[in-house]
Amino acid sequence: MPLVRKPTGAPPQPPPVTTGILEGLSSPNEDARWAAARAAADLAESVGPLTAALQLEPVARVREAMFTSLARIGNGESAAGVLPLLRSDAAHLRAGALDALRIMIRDTRELLPALLEDSDVDIRILSCELARVLPGNEATSLLCDLLRREQDANVCAAAVDVLAEVGQSEALPVLAACAAKFPDSPFLCFAIQVAADRISAQPAPIRG
Amino acid sequence: MVFTEAKRYYVERRVVERMVATGSASFAGYFAWLRTDVQHEIELFINAFTVNETYFYREDHQLKCLTTDLLAECVRAKKKDGRIRIWCAPCSTGEEPYSVAIWLLEKWPLVDQYEIEILGSDIDTAALQACEQGIFGKRALMRLSADVIDRYFEPVDDEHWKILDELRQSVQFSRVNIVEPAETRPHGQFDVIFCRNVLIYFDDASRRVAAENLFENLLPGGFICLGHTESMSRISPLFDVRRFADAIVYQRPGKESV
Repeated sequence: MPLVRKPTGAPPQPPPVTTGILEGLSSPNEDARWAAARAAADLAESVGPLTAALQLEPVARVREAMFTSLARIGNGESAAGVLPLLRSDAAHLRAGALDALRIMIRDTRELLPALLEDSDVDIRILSCELARVLPGNEATSLLCDLLRREQDANVCAAAVDVLAEVGQSEALPVLAACAAKFPDSPFLCFAIQVAADRISAQPAPIRG
Repeated sequence: MVFTEAKRYYVERRVVERMVATGSASFAGYFAWLRTDVQHEIELFINAFTVNETYFYREDHQLKCLTTDLLAECVRAKKKDGRIRIWCAPCSTGEEPYSVAIWLLEKWPLVDQYEIEILGSDIDTAALQACEQGIFGKRALMRLSADVIDRYFEPVDDEHWKILDELRQSVQFSRVNIVEPAETRPHGQFDVIFCRNVLIYFDDASRRVAAENLFENLLPGGFICLGHTESMSRISPLFDVRRFADAIVYQRPGKESV
């Protein structure tokens, strides 16, 4: 006899969902939309329906599952499908899109140089975050290019924050030039000093 | 699983171990062996990379929270004799699910009033075999009192103890990869899931999938306990954070479990 009494019979299961994937994405039933959103990861042609459904989806957990599936599909089409959501007025869509694009960085990285030159300041700020998951040398190169031309202190601050984590020594003169460009921004100058100190303290990367 | 440059030695050591075990003279030869899954090499390779270092009553503040707060909420909507399901995934070599069983027997006065199912699951089949054997060394038992060891174990030799059959039968074991919905779903829904110190090994995409799987495996209102260095809030917004006196845990929103 076990010391802890064990039950018999089948374990409890969530209610079964029987709708098809694409049909399920627009179901009035939240659980059906959740199930469809999750199953859509295995269906390459679901990118369009997923991105369309995302913009109408009222339930946070279903949106989360939709973003996860788009990230799992992880191809050029899903990256291109998620990208416009970075411009959404809805903060939850912008944040979700950023997370998804970060996960599929292999497909996002070729879009990144253009994003870092976007005319919208907010897009440039968000795009700096995408660089955080790139290899250090690649992120350093992209963000240094941005710092050389960027006139907006907030965008520079976003880039500096990322460089503080992944930047390499090539960034040091560019950071110094950036600080000189914004002498009236004590916050940015302080952030640049912190980033430069961190980069200087790191051992040189192994070149392969 | 994600291994950074800092883990290179860890990875190399395990690959070399598998090369020696399979008699492979070169990495190319071993890689071909692995890719064609000769003699279930993929499973053995995965087993080599899992970390099975644990002990009884590890992070016992969560066990205190279980019997002080979590189960009280879980049983609120259950009838007497109702079913309580607890899942330890991963379960490593069994210390955690057996700890839950012992803790409930020792600390929860209502233990006899409910049908309790404790399930331990892991991707490592060698670890699951160890769970079934239920033999533990001194180090694994270091946090148990002599009295508890005396009542729930029998000595095998000077260094090892075997869990009593009655306790062994209180826990079931199964293989699961928590990133695969097809493997997690058949396990059904639980009141409490312990998922400690595994999500930290996954990349972001796998962590999100695992969080969604665990969400499905929880009854509405059910709880999930992570390792003390882990935070579900950084992985997924699916869960509510609950702060109890002994632990911070995560809860699937919705009606209380039934």
